[in-house]
Amino acid sequence: MRVAAAIFWKDLLIEWRSRDRIVAMLLFSLLTVMVFHFSLPGGATAQTQAMAPGLLWIAYVFSALFGLGRSFSLELENDALSGLALAPTDRGWILLGKVAANLVILGVAQAVTALVFALVFDLSLLPVAPALAGIVVLGSLGLCTVGTFFSAIAVQTRFREVMLPLLLLPVLWPLLSAAVRATTALLAGEPVPSEAIQLLIVSDATYLIVSFLSFDFILDD
Amino acid sequence: MLRWSGAVLALMLVASGWLVIQSPLDAMQGVIQKILYVHVPCAFASYAGFFVTALGSGLYLWKREDRYDRLALAGAEVGVVFCTLTLLSGPIWAKGTWGQWWVWDPRLTVTLLLWFLYLAYLLLRSFTEGSERTARFAAVYGLMGATAIPLNYYAIELFGGAAMHPDNLERGSLGQGMGLPFLMSVLTGLVAVWYLVVARLDLENLRVQSAARLGGYPRT
Repeated sequence: MRVAAAIFWKDLLIEWRSRDRIVAMLLFSLLTVMVFHFSLPGGATAQTQAMAPGLLWIAYVFSALFGLGRSFSLELENDALSGLALAPTDRGWILLGKVAANLVILGVAQAVTALVFALVFDLSLLPVAPALAGIVVLGSLGLCTVGTFFSAIAVQTRFREVMLPLLLLPVLWPLLSAAVRATTALLAGEPVPSEAIQLLIVSDATYLIVSFLSFDFILDD
Repeated sequence: MLRWSGAVLALMLVASGWLVIQSPLDAMQGVIQKILYVHVPCAFASYAGFFVTALGSGLYLWKREDRYDRLALAGAEVGVVFCTLTLLSGPIWAKGTWGQWWVWDPRLTVTLLLWFLYLAYLLLRSFTEGSERTARFAAVYGLMGATAIPLNYYAIELFGGAAMHPDNLERGSLGQGMGLPFLMSVLTGLVAVWYLVVARLDLENLRVQSAARLGGYPRT
């Protein structure tokens, strides 16, 4: 547990000192929102507002792909990956520490993206902000878990930038469908379907457990 | 094993081919219904391939013996072919009967997901260097993919569109005289998987042996 906390703190500290990941993710999110705006003719109409939850999650997934890759590529310098692998602990805790750090970094990017979305698509997010935050955290937990896990794999292959989306996106389908469902209901002012929350929780738990247990095999070199 | 399974497969292909030709035409769908004698076996075959991959992956992580990794690889390569055939034959039938090439119903979405998982698995194997690392990563991804399938099925059951894809055979949706051709076709599909997996395993074993003899890396 302390290992996880130590890794969490280390990653956040590295990020705070360089701020390269968060800036890249923020910029990427904002550019994505701009692209969405230009690809949907007519501006903030009822139609585009109906699509906003899906587009928001697309923006989140893309910025996660951007930022999660860096999570392990910074460990390649000075063979830090081997150092992590040699740590006398259950390797799953290393993964959890990194997942937690990525969650925080992604969370910051997601909050700003949501604000920009609200501006561009003329949404009123303030009344639903706590519930939206809850759904986004649930969804991002699964996203960061599998994303960090696959980033550890991808970073040890050729074409690491290409590998992460290829590995991650199919596995994300259930999570994404639940998250978009929940967000759509929330923004439409309807009650959030309990099945969506159920699926989010089940997916998160499954991915956390499977990743935690299999992480041993990833750092086995 | 290869020759024997090949012989069985050849016999079954002839038998099911004959049965399919003999089978009655569907009252509503006409001759287009006969695509299902190809589509359904391909679907079963792709699930069987996935099962072989998941089994090989699990056994490899447990026992760390190369032959299980080769089994997983064979299952994936065979499975992806049958999955592609399923995804090609299904829409042809669908356009003829439902009038649409594709719908996002549970079974179709999960089969498409399976296809993407197969492809990602094979790409991961191509892009990883070192046979032991490749085997490890592929095995882990294979198992991760195996968890994603039921999750996705559950997801679509919760939310998905109306299930347009026909129900299972047990529900009596088959017409008269179609039972035996269907059964034979499905069994032929499974025997085809068996034969192709054995053939692929043989090929992989040969490749490993020859690479060892040449002193090089067995590249999977």
